[in-house]
This record gives sequence, C-alpha cells and structure tokens, in this order.
Amino acid sequence: METMIAVEGARKYYRVAKRGKGLTAAVGQLFNRKYEIKKAVDDISFSIKRGEIVGFIGPNGAGKSTTIKMLSGILYPDAGRVEADGFIPYKQRKQYVKNIGVVFGQKSQLNWDLPLIESFELMKFIYRIPREQYEKNLRQFCELLDMESFLGQPVRQLSLGQRMRGDIVAALLHSPELVFLDEPTIGLDVVAKEKIREFIRYMNKERNTTIIFTTHDMQDIEKVCNRLIIIDKGKKIYDGSIEEIKDRYTNVKTIEVLLENGGKETETFDVRRTSVNAVLERIFAERRVKDISVCEPEIDEIIRDIYEGRLRLDAPSAEGGAL
Amino acid sequence: MRAYLEIAVRKFQDKMAYRLDFFMGIVNTAITIVVYLCIYRALYAGASEVDGITYRMVATNFVITLGLSNAFGYNEMFLQDKVHDGSITNEFLKPVSFTLRLLAENVGEGAFKLIFHFLPALLFTLLHTRLCPPKSALHLLAMLGSVALGYLILWLLSFIIQTWSFWLFSVWGIITIKNVLVSILAGTLLPMWFMPAALRRVIACTPFESIYFTPVRIYLGELDGAQLLSGVAVQTAWIAVLGLAAWIFWRRGVKKLVVQGG
Amino acid sequence: MGELRIAVQSLKMSVQARMQYRVDTLVASIAVFVRESANIIVIYLALLKFDAINGWNVNEMLFLFSILFLTYAVVVSLFADLRDFSRMIREGRFDRLLVRPRGLLLQLILNNADVIASVGHGTLGILLFLLSAGRVGIEWNPVTILYYLCAIIGGVLMQGGIFIICSALSFYFVETGSIRSIFYWDMRRFAGYPISIYNKLIQTLLMYVVPFAFVNYFPAQFFLRKPDMAGYNEAYIYIAPLVGVFVYLLAYLFWRVSVRRYYSTGN
Repeated sequence: METMIAVEGARKYYRVAKRGKGLTAAVGQLFNRKYEIKKAVDDISFSIKRGEIVGFIGPNGAGKSTTIKMLSGILYPDAGRVEADGFIPYKQRKQYVKNIGVVFGQKSQLNWDLPLIESFELMKFIYRIPREQYEKNLRQFCELLDMESFLGQPVRQLSLGQRMRGDIVAALLHSPELVFLDEPTIGLDVVAKEKIREFIRYMNKERNTTIIFTTHDMQDIEKVCNRLIIIDKGKKIYDGSIEEIKDRYTNVKTIEVLLENGGKETETFDVRRTSVNAVLERIFAERRVKDISVCEPEIDEIIRDIYEGRLRLDAPSAEGGAL
Repeated sequence: MRAYLEIAVRKFQDKMAYRLDFFMGIVNTAITIVVYLCIYRALYAGASEVDGITYRMVATNFVITLGLSNAFGYNEMFLQDKVHDGSITNEFLKPVSFTLRLLAENVGEGAFKLIFHFLPALLFTLLHTRLCPPKSALHLLAMLGSVALGYLILWLLSFIIQTWSFWLFSVWGIITIKNVLVSILAGTLLPMWFMPAALRRVIACTPFESIYFTPVRIYLGELDGAQLLSGVAVQTAWIAVLGLAAWIFWRRGVKKLVVQGG
Repeated sequence: MGELRIAVQSLKMSVQARMQYRVDTLVASIAVFVRESANIIVIYLALLKFDAINGWNVNEMLFLFSILFLTYAVVVSLFADLRDFSRMIREGRFDRLLVRPRGLLLQLILNNADVIASVGHGTLGILLFLLSAGRVGIEWNPVTILYYLCAIIGGVLMQGGIFIICSALSFYFVETGSIRSIFYWDMRRFAGYPISIYNKLIQTLLMYVVPFAFVNYFPAQFFLRKPDMAGYNEAYIYIAPLVGVFVYLLAYLFWRVSVRRYYSTGN
C-alpha cells in the first residue's frame, strides 16, 4: 500500500516565559524576562499508509495536538521531515488542505447562532464543492449520523454530541482522503460516541479514507483503529496494534480484594516476577478479606500504568502495584 | 481587610506581567494629554482667559480628570460574564465578600494604572507644560480624600448597572450609555466651566459633578472652607444614596439567582 | 466568482445571527450610536462657547467627522476579524483558517461583519453628512462626487491596512491591545479635529505614521479650502485616496512576511 504520511525525526520546541513570585520579581520581569524550553515533540518518526485508521493517545501535554498540527500544516517542525499526501504541509498549504479534513473537538467551527445547514453552505463555497457531491454527502452523512431531527435548530441549542456530529460533517463535506480528528469524542455520552465511532469506521471502510485521531478514551481505540501510537513527553513510546499490547501484558494480573470493613483494594503485578502465592499470602496476612477476584487488567489500566511509569513498554515485565 | 489588600496587590502584580502594555500605556496617556492640550490651546486661540478661567486651569483640570478616569477603566462586563457562565455561584462559596473582592481588584488595577501609566505621563507633561500648583498642601490633602470619594461614586454607578445583568440579557449597551454620560456630564472632555448654564444647573443635581469636578476645584482652591466641606458632604451623600441602591439591587439579584438557580 | 459567494453567505450569516437577538442588537446599535455621538456633542458644546476651532465652524467640523464614521462603517463590515485578531489567536480560532484551501486574509475579510458597529457608525455618519454637507457650501458635480467616492474607498483601505498591520504584530507579541489602541483608536480620535491645531509631533504621526490625515482632513479640504491648508502641500489633497491604497499594499506585504512566524510558534 502507498504511504500517506511520513514523519522522520520531527521536533518542536517552545519557549515559555518563566514567571517569578512576589512584587520585586514582577517589576524585574518588566525589563528582563527569563525563558525555559518546553519539548512538545521530541524526535518522533512514523509512517502511515493510505486507508489506515491510527489512534494517538497520551496524557495531556504529551505532544498529540502538536503532532496533529504539524501534520495538518498549522505548524512546521523545528527539525525533521513531515510529508503527507505527497505534500510538505506547511509549504504547500492551499494545495494540501484541499484534500484533508480537520476536526478540533474542543473548538467548533460552526456558527453558534444559526442552524447547521448555514455553516455547511459556507463550507460548500469555501471548498468549491460541486453541487451534486455536496448534496450526496450531506444526505448520506446526515443519515449515518442520524442528524435530520436537529438540522434546523440553532447550534447553541444542540447537545455536545449533536454539535460534534455537525462539526464532523462540516469537516468532511468535501470528501477529503485524509482526516484528522483531535479528540472527537471528548465529553460525549455513550450513544453519541458510538455513533461517531460507527461513522469513522464507515468512512474508512467504504471510502478508504485515511483517519488519524487523538483521544483519551481507550474504547475509541479498541473499537475503531487497527493501530495505536502512544506519545508521552514528546516521544513516541509505542507504535503497533492493540492486540500486541494486550498480548505483552497477558502475564499482568490484577487482584481485587474486598475487605471485611467494606474497603476495596487492588494490586497489579506480573506473574513471571512475583508469584501469585506470595501476593496472596501477604494480603491474607495483612488484611481481613471478605472476597477476592483475579482479573486481567483493562486496556485503559495498562495505558494508565504506562503513563505513570509503573509499566515499561521496552521490557515485557511489570513491577507490583502499590497496595 | 488583609484578604482584600492581598487581592488588590495580586491584581496589581498581574497587570505587571504584560510588559508591552505597560510601556504603551505610558505612551498612550502622554499622547492623549498632548493632544487635548493642543485642542484647548486652539479653542483659546491666544486669549489669556475665558470667563475668568485661564488655559492653565483648563490644562490642570484635564490632567487630573484624565488620571482619575484612567484609574477607573476596568472590565465592567465582569459580573455579567460571571452570571452568564454560571460561575457566580462559586463566588458565594468563597469566604470573602464578592462585592468587596471586586472593589479590591478594581482598586488594585486602578492603582497600577495611576502609578505606572499616569505618573510617568504626568512627569512628561510637566516637562513641556506648566500646570497650576495646588492652593496649599492642605488643599492637596483634602483633594486626595475627595478623589477617593469620587472614585467610590463612579464605582457604585458602575456596580449598580452591572447588577442589572441578573435580569437583562446584556448590560453592555447600558454601561456604554452610562460611560457616555460620565464622559460628557462629569466634564472629562469639556471642562465643567464651559458647559451652558442651563446644563450646569441640571448637572449640579446629579452625582456627576461630585466625581471629578469637586476634587479639581478643591485642588485649585475654588472650593475653600465651608464650600469645601459642603462639596465633600455632597459627595458623601451621593455615596450613601448610591450605596443603598447598589445594596438593594445586589440583594434582589442574588435572591433571584438563588430562587431560580441561575 | 467563488469569493463573492463566500462573501454573500458570510454576510447573510452575520446578519441572521444578530437577528436572533433583535432587542439586544437594537439596544447595542443605539449604544454605539450614542457613544460615538459623545465626541460630537462635546464639540458642539465647546463651539457654543468658542465659535470656531482654528477657523473651522460647527458644520465644517461635523463634515470632517462624518467621513470618519462613514468609512468606519464599511471597515467593520469587512475587517471585523482583523480588528479582533489577537482574540482570535488567543482562542485558537486562527488554526481553523489554516486548514481551509483559501487565502488567509481573504477568509479574515470575508468571514465576519460587525453588524452592530456598522449600523451604529453608519447611521451617525449619514446623519452628520446630511446635517453638514448642505451647509458647508459643497457643489456636487461628477468630479466632486467621484473624488468623494475615491476618498471614502481610500479611507477604508487605509484603516483596513492599519488593522492588518496590527494583526500581523500579534505574530510577534502576545498582547497587542495597547499598540492597537495607540495606533488606531487614539489616532482616529485625534483625526476628528483639523490636524493644523496639533504640534509637529502629532501632525507627523497623523500624516506619515498612521496617515489618518488622508482619510478625512485632506479630503475635507478638497471641498472646504480652509485657510489652514496653507501650511500643507496642495498635492496632499489629490493623492489622499492613493495613500490608502499604498498603506494597504504595505500592510499586505508585512502580513505575508509575518504570518510565517505563526507556523513556527503556534499560539
């Protein structure tokens, strides 16, 4: 398959002004300001093929949004190479963005006071969408996302989930082949999330659209993508399938203990390092246990443990969690 | 009291974080003074005095008035924004009074502008223009007291209108109109002395004369002895009236909010 | 003409959005009208006392002012987003324009119209024009009408250019509010008076730095020929509309150079 996106050694550093404390520091800053360097993206490389769906995850401030911005041509890298759809995004902006769609989950592009259709019409003119294509897409998307009932309402009266669906349609009306979704499910209820996931899968399957999205919700990743990239502190720490990550951690178990006093505690550990016997013995010695269950950790627990440094991805092993 | 002082000081520091605003604020004030002095000079067209008022008195009036109106400029949509986004209810949970906190913040911001925008601009003005000195040290002192009262009158006027945001969709229009009235009727642009006699009689019955003009007249010695005391008494009376109105509106607004839940 | 269709759709959206809040729009438009009238009222009151300012009587002053308001009414229907550009950057809304396949300035100009300010300033401008134009002895013929229209267009371009320059400065500085308030709002306020009353410094600012003098003072002199024109080159009257074009081109170039910085820093 043909390569859609190629990123090699991309780097983006920001300069952030330091603010001191106290009145004298405040006066001093009027004349002499100190800065520190923040490494938003620090030497990241990956490549994505046409027709893939890739999920980006990572804690807040990990560099996901900066990466998306570099890919969509809003920022250029300080060093390294970013290429997408055969273009250098920030250099050939107008050419490149004709064929991409971008949704910023936290920043709507819809007119707040008017029905969705007015914002869609504007997109038609901005992207020079031929009438038949516009009408066909609009009809199809509205049906898939179940939007007919609220098309005529002012956007400010819509629920967050309805608004987000509107934003997604607005960004895809021109049939882009490459789509970036920055947190498209943030703050949504389960039903709205499911609708959006279904739609993303449809766009990928039926239209072979390449889709890259960021999220905090592991369900999004499990249900939608075939590939996962984890970014933390500006570095890529994992790139592969979800199955693989789960496989690596089949040896990790979580023991959940219900105490007699009503308390509940959990412990996560790697069976190859710590024997189940030892853990249970310790628990029984220290606690009065009412009930006990052993389970495999959910994918979000694994991810959380990775962020918090309790699990390391390079070595397939894990330290025991704190009980 | 300490808490409110702390709030005022913090606001003062916040303002200092914006370096460019700081230097431009000085330039802005200095240019405005130069321009208006040019306008008054052109209006005087060489005359040494008009109706017994000298050019230098007019210049002095303008500089003092500008300093005070600068110190008063802050975000008057604050309360409305808090009501609209609902964060006003969080304010009631804090251990400090919301109204006093607002006043403290505004005073902090005003003090910043007076010290860092107005004072340097004033020094610059004194390099090229001679202003009237205060009649005496005592008058200067009395004027400072009167300035504080004038500030309170302005603040209460603004606060009363801000409380209307509990009932109205937007108070922006009313605040704008209030500011127009202040800029004309309090003598910010055209000194009170040159207002048509009929208009001045009307203004005398409103709080507008007490805002800038009373302090200016005390400074110049136009109000002296018993007149000075009555000027300050009128200011105090307006504060009592406006303060009462502000209290009533505030209480009713809060009650409406609590009953209807925003 | 894809651009025209964007413009029509955007304007339609701006107006429709405001019409959702009819009462508020009306009140706010009146408030703008009243606020801007304040300067006029002050001049009127001052000239009751002093008769004239550097030889300009009340009607001539109103004519001078009317040009400022009329041009601004057009400026805010086109350049509203550039006027509020630093807020747009701060809220991250500029990113959105970068991922659309259209020129950035074009999108900014066509996108939003400040309906309220346009109505408020426009009404006042027309009112002042009607009040004063008949009383200052202007003879309307094809030449004067053509000059007047060119002067208005030039004035709009000049002010639009200043907004563009101030917006481009947002790519270098975090807060540009104070620059804007000096180089636009202050200068505009000063331009309400004949520039001949000012000292050399302010005159230089109004003629060569932020050339507001070419928006209303020199065009007004084309019709009024007040004696204070003796202090300036006659040619200024005739090049006045061109100054706007020149400033706009300069602003465009500066924008092109500055916008590159955004790609490296973001917001």
